[in-house]
Formats: sequence, structure tokens, C-alpha cells
Amino acid sequence: MRVISPQWYLNLLSQPDITAIFITLQLALTSTVLLILLGTPIAWWLARSRGVAKIIIEPIIALPIVLPPTVLGFYLLLAFAPDGIIGQWWLLATGKGLAFTFSALVIGSIIYSMPFYVQPLQVAFENIEQSLLDAAATLGATPLDRFLSVVAPLSSRGFITAICLAFAHTIGEFGIVLMIGGNIPGETRVLSIALFDHVESMEYGQAHVLALGLLAFSFTLLALVYTLNRRWQMRFASQS
Amino acid sequence: MQITAKIHLTRASGFTLAVDLTVKPTGVTALYGPSGSGKSTVLRLLAGLEHTKPSDPILISSDDQIWHDEKQFVPPHLRDIGYVFQQPQLFPHLSVRGNLEYAVKRRRGNQNLTLQQVSGWLGINHLLDARPTSLSGGEAQRVAIARVLLSGARCLLMDEPLGAIDYAARLQILPYIDGLRRVLDIPIVYVSHALDEITYLADEVYMLEKGRVTANGRIFDLASSLTLNSHEGEAVAAVIEGVVDSHDPDYGLSRLTLSSQSIYVSLCNQPPGTKVRLRIPARDVSLTLQAPIQTSILNVLKGVVSEIETASAKPSLLVKIKIDDHYILSRITRKSLTQLELSPGKAVFIQIKTVALLTDPTQQVAPLS
Repeated sequence: MRVISPQWYLNLLSQPDITAIFITLQLALTSTVLLILLGTPIAWWLARSRGVAKIIIEPIIALPIVLPPTVLGFYLLLAFAPDGIIGQWWLLATGKGLAFTFSALVIGSIIYSMPFYVQPLQVAFENIEQSLLDAAATLGATPLDRFLSVVAPLSSRGFITAICLAFAHTIGEFGIVLMIGGNIPGETRVLSIALFDHVESMEYGQAHVLALGLLAFSFTLLALVYTLNRRWQMRFASQS
Repeated sequence: MQITAKIHLTRASGFTLAVDLTVKPTGVTALYGPSGSGKSTVLRLLAGLEHTKPSDPILISSDDQIWHDEKQFVPPHLRDIGYVFQQPQLFPHLSVRGNLEYAVKRRRGNQNLTLQQVSGWLGINHLLDARPTSLSGGEAQRVAIARVLLSGARCLLMDEPLGAIDYAARLQILPYIDGLRRVLDIPIVYVSHALDEITYLADEVYMLEKGRVTANGRIFDLASSLTLNSHEGEAVAAVIEGVVDSHDPDYGLSRLTLSSQSIYVSLCNQPPGTKVRLRIPARDVSLTLQAPIQTSILNVLKGVVSEIETASAKPSLLVKIKIDDHYILSRITRKSLTQLELSPGKAVFIQIKTVALLTDPTQQVAPLS
């Protein structure tokens, strides 16, 4: 009987597929780190703001949930083109084109996964009573200190959910990558594209390997999120 | 720290707040009034927790630093204040000890109380490893008070700190707050709608109603004011301060001094020399013109009629009597008033049937050292 191990799984993969997996993980990791830096302040602002700006910003953040990825990809492609709004600026700053690069994928992923990161975190932030932060302030805690010492630990569930969803969602992304990334091996050829290629070429065996791997990964990640959430729920069960 | 505040505030709901107040550098300044009178808003403004419109004329300053005016706003974490909320607001992700250490880590000033001293003093030593969610309301509020004490605050703001806990726990915590008043060298601003808390703790009182100050003065003056008490019923009582003189365990009595005269109360365990507050209900005070002889009433004092309530229709009225430099109230019938021919300046003997010591005799609060 064969033992199911990472080594066994890797042996089933072709070199281009391993490269695709590596690119995918790199993309997901980079996007998630940037999402933590960008999305956390946005989630905090959405949770605390009651202004008019929120009425505009909140649906914009949520758009990728309902919009077909190809629509978003199409507009991003236009924006990333050398004469597009972002592409122009990028060309000036780096001297290189933006479309069909790894950087383009990262920017696209951030936009596409933003709601999956922001929304669970926003809910977690909204559940934190203002009076608890007032108490911290009157004990001498600065705003950043209040965030790190009160908000962050009390939203740990939200952070876990947000990070896992953003990460998993970036890994599973297809439509936008197809539009703005193209299919450049070692640069923009990610897992979902590789899978699509195998299916197109009727290589069902290799498609199975990738599809099953992705399925197992997603299942494990979600199971982990739910287990962690339950543990936290029990720890703070009787909170008022 | 002395705080002065001139507050004029209009809310979208139409509520207006117009309050001028001074918090003296020591003692308890109390804001007393019904709910909706704006007293909590005043406290939150002092703390910097309340948002205001730029058009609201507000001037709050402490010593010579401006905290809040049209140009400047010092945020709460820079005001060196401590705030005790109606709900304890303990951090649920930290243990009781973690909550106290949170304050120690961010301590302002050079106050040197230790966690051990404060938790021993507030009787929470056995709770240090507990999680806040497992505490009773009274325990949680004691932890909240301990946390504020450890934060090195230069002024304590207390917003109905006993409002959310049951009667028995309230009686337990009051002496601790009274203890703070005695041993801390910082001002306390105490907000409450409970008269018993105010008479127990307050030195200076601001009475608020519908966003306005209706009366302001020392608690002893307000408690004996005829105009403030004329609409009150049977519960009218004067509050005076005496000094413990000696104890008589054989009879179960303690003798207190009020200026040159003395008064007996049930045996208390405050050491001689301690200042204690007494509550004397007006209906338990009767007046005679001659010194009563062979009376069962222990407390007979000499005084002078200072003021008489001028309510013509009621069968009973209040008389304010000056005893040395203290004032007490007596409720007598209109018929007695006529028979005794009482008028301001007339010397009378005062018989007091019951005197309640406001300091709970079962609670000995050791001074912080």
C-alpha cells in the first residue's frame, strides 16, 4: 500500500505543475500579507465610521463578491495597460509594463480578495464595545496601543477567518488571473490555470492530481478555521 | 489637580446642557440628579469621551492646561484621569491580574501603589487568577476600582459606579469608595442619582436637572436646606460630621464630638479622632424649651432656631436648628410651632431619637500605606 505523504504527492506532479503551485502559494502569501496591512485599517474604519463616505466605500469593497471575475479582470486589464490609469503610473515608477506580470496578479488578488478579508474582520470589530476602548483610553492607552492590546486579541477569531478566507480565495482565483495574468510559466501561470490547461488538453490524470490537491487543501483550511472559531467561541462564551 | 468646566452643549435631540463647575483639588465633588439630567454627559466631557460639535462653546481646563475649547482637544489618554464606569468594563481576554497589570504598565505619574497593596485593600486577592466573566457584579466593580487606582490617575471620575450592582454589594463597596476619599490625595467626581450615596460620600454637590445646575454647595448645607427639602416627604434628614471621641463597649455605644457637644451612636469601630458622618432624620428630632429631665432619650443637644419653613397649609413643617457650627432639621407640627412660639434666634433643646452612622461600622478600611 502506498503511503499518502507530501513526497508521494509531489512525485505525481510534473515540473511545470510544481512551478504553478509555487507561484500560486507565493501569490497567496504576498496578497494576504498586503491585505492584512491594507484591509485591517479599512475594516476598522468601516466598523467605526458612520459618515456618508461609508455608504460609498462599503459597497465598492463588496463588489468582487457579486461581480463576475471576468468583469473585474477586464477593467483591471484596461487599467494595467501601458496607457491605462495604473499601468501608466507603474511604467513611470518602474520602467516596466504592468499587465501580464506577477505584480499585476498581486494587485488584482488584493482587490478581488478584499471583501473576503474585510468583512469577517469588520463584523469582529463591530462586536467590540466602544466603552471597553474608552476604559483603555482612560487607563492611558494610546489609539495604537488600544488596537493592539484590546481590539486585536478580542478579534482573533475574525483575524483567523479573514486571513484564511483571503488566502484560500486567492489560491482558487481563476477569472481575473486569466484576464490580467495571461499564462506565463514561472510568472503568472497559477494552479487554477494549470488545471484548466490540463483539462483543455484532455490530460485528466494530471487534472485530477491538481484538483484533488486543491480540494484537500481547501477542506483542511476550512476545517481548521471552524475548529479554531469554536474553540474561541467557548473561551469567550459568556461574554457580555 | 483642579478642573474647571464651562459647558454649553446642544444636542440634535433638542437637549441642552449648561453647566459651570469646579472640581476642587481634594474631596468628592458629586453630580446628583435624575437620569436624563445630563450628569453623565458632564463627566464624559471631563474625561474627553464625549463628541461635541465645534459650535458648542465648551471650556474645560485642569490647573493651567486647556483640555477642551474651540481650538484644542486633549484626548482621554493624555488627561491623566481615571474613569470608573457603571459597568466594570474589564477586558474579557485578560485575567483579573492581567487587567490590573494593564493599568500598571501604562501608569501615569509617580504614584507608587503596588498591585498587592491595592488588591489586598479591595479584597480581591483571591480573584487574581479568575477570568472577569466569572466574577459577580460587585467583585468586578471592585476590580475595576483597583485597576483605576493602579493607573496613576490624578483625578478619579466615577459614573454611577454602584448603579448596576445589587443592594448588598453596594453596601459592601461604598465604604471602599469612602476610604478612597479619605486616603487619596486626588479629587473624585462622583455621579449618582442615589441620595444615600451622595450623603455618604460627597463633600461638594452639584444638583442637576434637565441640563441645568439647580443647586450647588457643601453637602452639609444642601442636606439642611429648607428650600431643597420642603417638597421631600418623611425621608428628610440632615447630614453632619462628627469626630469619634471614645467607645463604651459595656453599653454598646460610641461617643462623638460635634464642636463643643457630644452625641452617642451605636458602637462603631472607628478609632478615636476619625471623622464620621451622621444622618439625622428630621422626624426623629423633637424640640423643647426647657432641658428635658429624666428622659430616655440619650442625645439632648442645645441649639438655636435658625430658619422655619413657611408652608402654611401643611400640618407639619421643617425647622432648621444651628448646633454650634452644624445644622440639623426637625419636623414638628404647626400646632407645636405655635405653642412653643418658635422663631429664628430662639434657644431650644433638641432631642434626637435616632442617629445613623453613615460609615458602615462593620467595615474597617485600613489606610493605604
